[in-house]
Parts: sequence; structure tokens; C-alpha cells
Amino acid sequence: MPLDNAPEGKRKFNVVGTRPLRPDGIDKVTGRAKFGADASAPGQLVGRILRSPHAHAIIRKIDTSKAEKLPGVKAVITRDDFPDHTGGSGGLYDTLCNVMAREKAFYEGHAVAAVAATSASIARQALKLIKVDYEVLPHVTDVDEAMKPGAPLLHKDMFTDGVDPKPKKPSNIARRFEFGHGDVEAGFKKADIIVERSFKTEAAHQGYIEPHAALASMGPDGSAELWCCTQGHYMVRDVCSQLLGIDIARLRVTQSEIGGGFGGKTTVFIEPVALALARKANRPVKVVMTREEVFKASGPTASTSIDIKIGVTKDGLITAADGVFRYQGGPFQGCSPAEFGAMSAFAQFHLDNVRAVAYDVVCNRPKTISYRAPGAPMANFAVESVIEELAHKLGMEPIDFRIKNAAREGTKSSYGPVYGPIGLGATLEAAKNHPHFKAPLGPNQGRGMAAGFWFNFGGQSCVTLNIPVDGSITVSVGSPDIGGSRAAMCMMVAEEMGIPYDHVRAIIADTSALGYNDVTDGSRTTFATGMACILAARDAIKKLCARAAATWGIPEDAVKWENGYAKPAGPNAGDFAPLSLKEIAEASPGTGGPIAGHHEFSADGAGVSFATHICDVEVDPETGRSSIVRYTVIQDAGKAVHPSYVEGQFQGGAVQGIGWALNEEYIYGKDGRLQNAGFLDYRIPVCSDLPMIDTQILEIPNPGHPYGVRGVGETSIVPPLAAIANAVANATGVRFTQIPLSPPRVLKGIEEAKKAGGRKAA
Amino acid sequence: MIPGAFDYHRPKSVAEAIALLNDLGDDARPIAGGHSLIPMMKMRLASPSHLVDLRGLADLAFIRAEGGEVVIGAMTTQHQVIASADLAARLPLLRETALQIADPQIRYLGTIGGNVANGDPGNDMPAVMMCLDAQYEVQGQGGSRRVAAREFYQGAYFTALEPGELVTAIRIPVPPAGHKAAYEKLKRKIGDYAIAAAAVLLEVSGGKITRASIALTNVGETPLLADAASDLLVGQAPDKALCKKAGQAAAAIAAPASDARGPVAYRRQMAGIMTERALIRALGL
Ligand SMILES: Cc1cc2nc3c(=O)[nH]c(=O)nc-3n(C[C@H](O)[C@H](O)[C@H](O)COP(=O)(O)OP(=O)(O)OC[C@H]3O[C@@H](n4cnc5c(N)ncnc54)[C@H](O)[C@@H]3O)c2cc1C
Repeated sequence: MPLDNAPEGKRKFNVVGTRPLRPDGIDKVTGRAKFGADASAPGQLVGRILRSPHAHAIIRKIDTSKAEKLPGVKAVITRDDFPDHTGGSGGLYDTLCNVMAREKAFYEGHAVAAVAATSASIARQALKLIKVDYEVLPHVTDVDEAMKPGAPLLHKDMFTDGVDPKPKKPSNIARRFEFGHGDVEAGFKKADIIVERSFKTEAAHQGYIEPHAALASMGPDGSAELWCCTQGHYMVRDVCSQLLGIDIARLRVTQSEIGGGFGGKTTVFIEPVALALARKANRPVKVVMTREEVFKASGPTASTSIDIKIGVTKDGLITAADGVFRYQGGPFQGCSPAEFGAMSAFAQFHLDNVRAVAYDVVCNRPKTISYRAPGAPMANFAVESVIEELAHKLGMEPIDFRIKNAAREGTKSSYGPVYGPIGLGATLEAAKNHPHFKAPLGPNQGRGMAAGFWFNFGGQSCVTLNIPVDGSITVSVGSPDIGGSRAAMCMMVAEEMGIPYDHVRAIIADTSALGYNDVTDGSRTTFATGMACILAARDAIKKLCARAAATWGIPEDAVKWENGYAKPAGPNAGDFAPLSLKEIAEASPGTGGPIAGHHEFSADGAGVSFATHICDVEVDPETGRSSIVRYTVIQDAGKAVHPSYVEGQFQGGAVQGIGWALNEEYIYGKDGRLQNAGFLDYRIPVCSDLPMIDTQILEIPNPGHPYGVRGVGETSIVPPLAAIANAVANATGVRFTQIPLSPPRVLKGIEEAKKAGGRKAA
Repeated sequence: MIPGAFDYHRPKSVAEAIALLNDLGDDARPIAGGHSLIPMMKMRLASPSHLVDLRGLADLAFIRAEGGEVVIGAMTTQHQVIASADLAARLPLLRETALQIADPQIRYLGTIGGNVANGDPGNDMPAVMMCLDAQYEVQGQGGSRRVAAREFYQGAYFTALEPGELVTAIRIPVPPAGHKAAYEKLKRKIGDYAIAAAAVLLEVSGGKITRASIALTNVGETPLLADAASDLLVGQAPDKALCKKAGQAAAAIAAPASDARGPVAYRRQMAGIMTERALIRALGL
């Protein structure tokens, strides 16, 4: 059964690479799609959460007696309803502490109690009747402040890991990481020019439109059901069942349609609370976050403080690169993406001497969670800003400087592995040849660029493909579709089966229907779950061929599958009329029963991904306001299964990066409270703030995937911060080292530079 | 983010609305498009026990010419202001300003009456009305009166309206054809309130500025009429240096708050820049 057409990278595709209509489009625009808050159950109660008004406080006592007596209140829960089944330490314990505060409230918005009541207004009234006795403690929200000796301590038992010897004094530094190779000190000695700068970035929120929502029910026998919007319902199932102390198999989680996640829905917040309320009330309970809760109590990304030092020779070769990356991830260890920041920071360069040291720091802010390429955009901002500055000092075109030092096949990456075929050089060359690159600039405009990297991930996937008697196909996958993966799955199955795209339908199965699937993150779904779809289709084809073989009375391996037909091959070629998928399916009840394909695995070989962004910014010299005039994304997709979706991912990442670079930030008051917990003052860009984002897809096949696919969802948010900062620097002559580039900050920089008489850093 | 409890009333006439407001007393508030009031209620900055919905008062949605004036009914939406060809021809400043307010969804519902009666220094129309020297028609139980926009604003959310009174219409003297006007608004991004904004109205004759008025948005407790700035324009031949001087004079009266839009000094400086730019654009310099 020759399924593999020779070198698959060069294979000719029929469906893959086309742009069919998205399967979820009509449901979404007509309102038929069911999102997290759209489900209801008979007898359902409204669940609401009481949250700490303090950034840091010991919870001495919680008195719920008045709330419990309020008519209509069916359950009130606190930390006492979450006995520790986790063993008292580690990530799962921290998740437990985050979903319901235990000894301390660690940030404004930290959950301290919850109620389930017959109406929203009764639930709200009940929250007011809960008396929490707090002992308010000093707090810290800035990463540099948190690292200082004498800073308010979040955990008395936090002794920095990764330092030898382990410190004897507790601190807010959870862990130190170090990556790199060579000898940076020796490298700097060989340098003719060294640039060293410090940077800061503020926290940004993923800004998904759909707030977290969950509907939970739990029977007296301990079997439970949960409907929620998440990027990983298997993760939700496993975490919730462990937190609640029930068997994993007792909890069935169904993923709703999702209104955006971007990494923010890769953990649990309200789901265990909804389940605990449902258990206590013995009725279904629905919990929906408000936007304010989303900002204060879900997981934004880290704020950071970064130092970068890079040395070069006169002819533009980097001799050493060194960086310190301090990321605060909220109140718990291991939440900040400091490690990924440090690993990715220098990944786009071929370096003999490189060192990246990261600190994972805790602060009185919400527990951070992934945001698209977690940790990388901030590190890239710092590194690519210094790269641009070095190029200017060298008198070299920044793009030539980048090309000269670019990582390539065989480069030992800054984080360890040696690269296989990668697309960085191709994106840089494409940028250099792009018409955007040479287009003239207007007054007060500057052009900036940056190249970015993301690891990409494979992971566990499990797929079942069912062929009913009419020959149409249902593919059941367990990976939530947050960026168009259903279309990609259908296309890959159609490609393998040799049938039209619209004969295939993909559904996201609940946790009881399939084996474990990792969260949709790490840009893994089209790569890993897509590969499982291809392999499940091949499994089904094998069975279809077997049925045909039995019908014809020839050996199974004498049947080949071609363009949707089983055909006799080899010595039997031409002996029988080919049988179509539909004919075999129709006959299946009499030839051995239903036909299904299946595949389960843990995918390796996710190809790393690179992108180069070019952007033109116009800076108003009198107001400091920056507008994006033109923006181009060039990225290696390996193989674009559905090019429109790939372009959408490129554009979406760029736009989120633009928001982060120019406007978005978590603003804290002296009291440790968030000042802008709403879209009125947390400004994400809308279409009218932006030019069309141009895209160019490059296809350097990933040898780890049968079609060459690489993940594309995350890399696109990595370069924008740096590309924009470089454009602003080139427009104003001022190097800004702090994000966001808000108008007052930019104007101040311009005016100070004017006073100082020329280029400077702000 | 959830408003307090309230009762809802939907009168069919102005008289009925006024009677209701007076009967229900201090705790009653009129609601027009709701796009300022409802956010305030959600943030508990306002907690009226009664809402008197003006959207049944169809006769308050109109735009018409009366002699030398344009009269706009209070319930005219910002979208209708934008869509009116007559306004665009006679008072292009209004259309220009309305286009810079919020976003289309909000403009479909938000009314010009609500925008001027609200008393939020962030609203854009009040400064424009001061600049144009508009009059508000105000109706209460005792009858109706006219209040000049320039006298209407007394503090943040404090206006000359007495409890139980409604703004029913806005009267704007139409400046002569050939007048020059502009509204310059600096905002962080589309759909945002102003960091600072300036409305200017000018007449030029024989190479000299013969009439000038300037008003500022969101750089004080109320919209501000920049008299000193406009005074120094009158009688002068327009040039860029003059516009700069006027901008500086306008900045001098700005007293903004420091907030997420920027520190005090920055916003004051921006009031000057917006004034200067509005003047330069209006004058075609
Ligand atoms: C996201 C967002 C952005 C916005 N951006 C801007 C902006 O950039 N610029 C801007 O100017 N506005 C902005 N607005 C406000 C918007 O323009 C409002 O619609 C407008 O300010 C009020 O009009 P309304 O009809 O909605 O009034 P409502 O909200 O219904 O009422 C506002 C106030 O006026 C009173 N009131 C209403 N009508 C009358 C009347 N006829 N007589 C007496 N009192 C009355 C009400 O009692 C209330 O106190 C924004 C709003 C939002 C939600």
C-alpha cells in the first residue's frame, strides 16, 4: 500500500494550500455558536466570587454565616471547602492557592470566597454579607523592587532555586536559570564595540473578547460535568479532578466555542470553583467572569526588567551576547516565562559566546499565564533594540548586520539544540527584497525591523475518524480550535483521503470520547493534532483498502488508495473497477461493520519558527503620538495548510504586539490596585487604528511533519515590540528602552534629546 | 460594574417627561442614549433610583434652520449629526467633531443633547458649542429658558440645569459662509476621549482676523473658553507664529488632571499644540 509519495516536502497538494470557507464562520456571525456563557442546565444557580481588595493580606478569618442564611443562597465556599489533595507544594498546590486563597490573599482580585444562589442579585448580596478579617501587609508590584533586599516577602519559605549554594535567606526570587555556551567574557575582549542597555516592559493582557465562563454540575455519586471555554479541556479535567480529589474519569469536560485565548485559557481559574459550588449546592452552577475580573484575576503576561550586552568586531561579527532577564509572574514560583524569555532571546543568532541568565520573580500581581510565545516578545524587544543600535554604530545596514550573524542550519542555538533546516535567513532575505523595505519614508517617519523566534511544540494528541455509510467523514479531535484548526484538520484529512474538503467535518470531542490531548498551545495543534489526523486517515485508508481487497478476493497489499478510490494494484491492476470511498462505506455494514481510523501519539519534531517584521511608524514630534503607517510580516510556515488562516495568525500577532508596544499596560496605584481594569483605559487597538498588515508566507518544510507544517500562531507576536521601538528610534533619533511607547513618554524623550542636542536613550 | 436597582419610565412627551422628573424628585435622571449614564451607573458613580427614558420623545430629534440659526433637537443622535448634509454645508465643524467621538456603535445611540447636558469635561460637543456661542433651550416645570453654552458648565458634572429640567434643543448661530473652523483632538487611539482638544472658529477679512473664538476639551473641570488666546488673534494678519502664540495662551489656562492619558504638564502642553494646529488648519496656513 504505497501511501508515501516520495519526498513529501515536494509533494503536490490538492486541498492543502487552498482557501476554503471556514467551518465555524456562519455559526459565529449568526450567533448560533455556543460560547462559554451560552450553556444552561435545569435548576442552574448563579455562582459569584468574592475577591480580595488588598494586594497582600493575611486572611485571619472568613465569616460566611450571614451569607449562608440569606434566602436563595444554596452554597458558600471558602478555602475550607478545598482540602489539599496536592501534597502541599508544587505547581498544582499553587493553582489551588490561586483559585481560592488560603493563608494569604496575594493580589487585588484574589478569590477568597464564592457563593451559589438562585439569582445574580442574591449572589451579589450574599458576597456583601461575607466578612473577611484581613491583616493587610506591605506589597510589591514592580519586579526590580521585588528583588531588592528588604522588599515585602510573599513567601517566607522561598529560597532561590538554581543558585549554588542555595541562599539561606528567603526572597521573592523563585529561581535562577542560565543558558548559553562559550565564554562571554573572552568574547567581549575580542569586541571593538559593545552596547549595553537596560529595558523594562509592562504587563499586557491577552485581551480575548470572551470572559472566562464555566457551567458545572456534580452528582451525589461524585460524577461531574463541566462546560467551559478553555484552550485545553483535558488539562481542565485533570487539574480540577485533582484539586477536588475525584477520579479523573469521573469528570467529563466539554469545551465550548472559544472567543479568544492567546494562551490565557491554558490554566484554570473559575472552573474548580464552579465545581466545588455545584458539589456543595448539589445543583448546576454557572460562573461567568466580568471584564474587571478578567483583568484582575485571570493571567496577564509578565512585566520585565532586562539588561543586554552585546559586543561586535569592526566588521560586524558578534563576539559575545549576554543578558539578564527578570520576569515577575505574579505570586507563585514557576509562572513567569523567564525561562522561555532567556532561552529565546538570542535564538536568532549564530553565536560562539552567549549567556542568558533569568530570574523568576514573585510579586503581588495576578498569577500570570501564557500569552502567545510566552516570554519571548520582551526579550526580543531588548535584544533587537541593541542589535539595531550596534548596526548604527557599525555604520552597517541593520538588515545586513542581522543576515551576517543569523542562525542557520547547523548553528548551535543559544539555548542548546543544533538547528536543522530553518527559515530565518530566508525571512531576512525576503525582507531585504520586499518592496516595503525600499519604499520612501515621509517626514517624521522611521522604519524599524526585528527578527523573532519561537520554539513551537508537539505533544500529545489523540484523533478518531469515523466514516458513516454515505462516505462523509467526521474527525473527532481533542484540541480546542482557537485559530482555525478545524478547517486545517478537515483539509489534511481530505488531502489524505483524496476527497473534497466539504465532505469532512471536524468536531472537538469531550474528554470522555478520546484519549488525552495536550492544551492548544505552543502552536502545536495544526502540527501535532494535524499529524494525528493524517495518520488516522492513513489508518482508515488501510481499513478501506482491506474491505476492497476482501470484496475482490485479492491480498490487502495488492490494493492501493488513489484520489478517493481503492484500486487493484500490481499484478491485479485493472482487474476490478475501482471502489469509491462512498461505495466501500455503503457496503461496510456487510463487510465487517463500521470503518474508523485512529491515531494517538506524542508528536516530536515541531520545527522551530522564525519571522522578520518591517514596520514604518510616524511619530508626531509635538505630541509624541506614534502611528503605524505600514507593517509587513514575513514568516516561515513550513507549509501553510490554509493560507488565509496563516495570514490571520501573522496579522493577529502583529496587531497584539502593536497594542503592547504603543498602548497596553497594567497600571498599578501605590495601593497595589489595578487602575485600568477595563477596555476604556486598557486600550487595545481596533481596525481603525491600524494599516492593513501585509503578510508574506515562506515555506521551508519542517522535516518533522509529513507535509512540512510548522506552528505559526506565536512567532508573529515576537518581533513587533522591537520592530516598532526601532522604527520610533529611527523616526526620532531617540532610543526608547521602556514599553509602552505612550505619547507622554515619547514626547519627553524627544524633548530631552533636543535639550541634550542629539541622539540619546530614554 | 453592575448598576444599582432602578425603576424605568418611558414618557411620550416632553411635558410628561418633565412632570415625571419633578414627581420622582432628586433620585430621577433622564436617560437619552445612555452611553455616558450607563457606564457611570455601572461604576456606581451614579445611582439613580428612577430612569426617565427620553427615547420616546421623537419630536426632539430634528435638525432645522431658523433664520440665522441652526436648531438641533436634543435627541438627535451623533450619527444623525454626521449624516445631515445641511449641517455639513453650514456648520462643518459639528460633523468634523462628531466623527471624532467614540465609535460608530456609540454614535448611533449617543445624542447631542446627552453629550452637552452630561457635564463631563471629556465630552467633545460642549467646547464646540462654547466656541460657536450656542444657546441651550432648557425646559422645566416652570416653562422654558435659554442658557448660553458659555454659561452652562460650572464644574465636573455640574451644569446650569436645575433638577427636573431638560435640554430640549441647541441653537447655534450660523457663522457667515467662508468662516473658518476646525476641531483638533489628540487621543491615545480611535474611540478614546481626548488627551486634549481644541475647537476654533475664525472670520478673516481684508487679510486680518476679524473674529476668533477658541474653546478647549478635557483640560479642566469644564470645557474652557480661551478668551485671551482668541483676543490676541483679532486684528492680526494670520501666520504660523501667531497661531503658536495663541496656542501658548490657550495652554496657559488649561488645568487638566493627571491620569492615564498623561501627566498635567503634558496635557497642558497638548492643549496648546491642539489649539495651534486647529488654527493653522482652519486658516489654511
Ligand atoms: C467607550 C465610549 C467612548 C466615548 N467617547 C466619547 C468621546 O470621545 N467624546 C465624547 O464626547 N463622548 C464620548 N462618549 C460619550 C458618548 O458620546 C455619549 O453618548 C454622550 O456623552 C452622552 O449622550 P447620551 O445620549 O448617550 O446621554 P446619556 O448617557 O443618556 O446621558 C448623559 C447625561 O446627560 C443627561 N441627559 C441626557 N439627555 C438629557 C437632556 N436632554 N436633558 C438633560 N439631561 C440630559 C443624563 O441624565 C445623564 O446625566 C463615549 C462613550 C463611550 C461609552
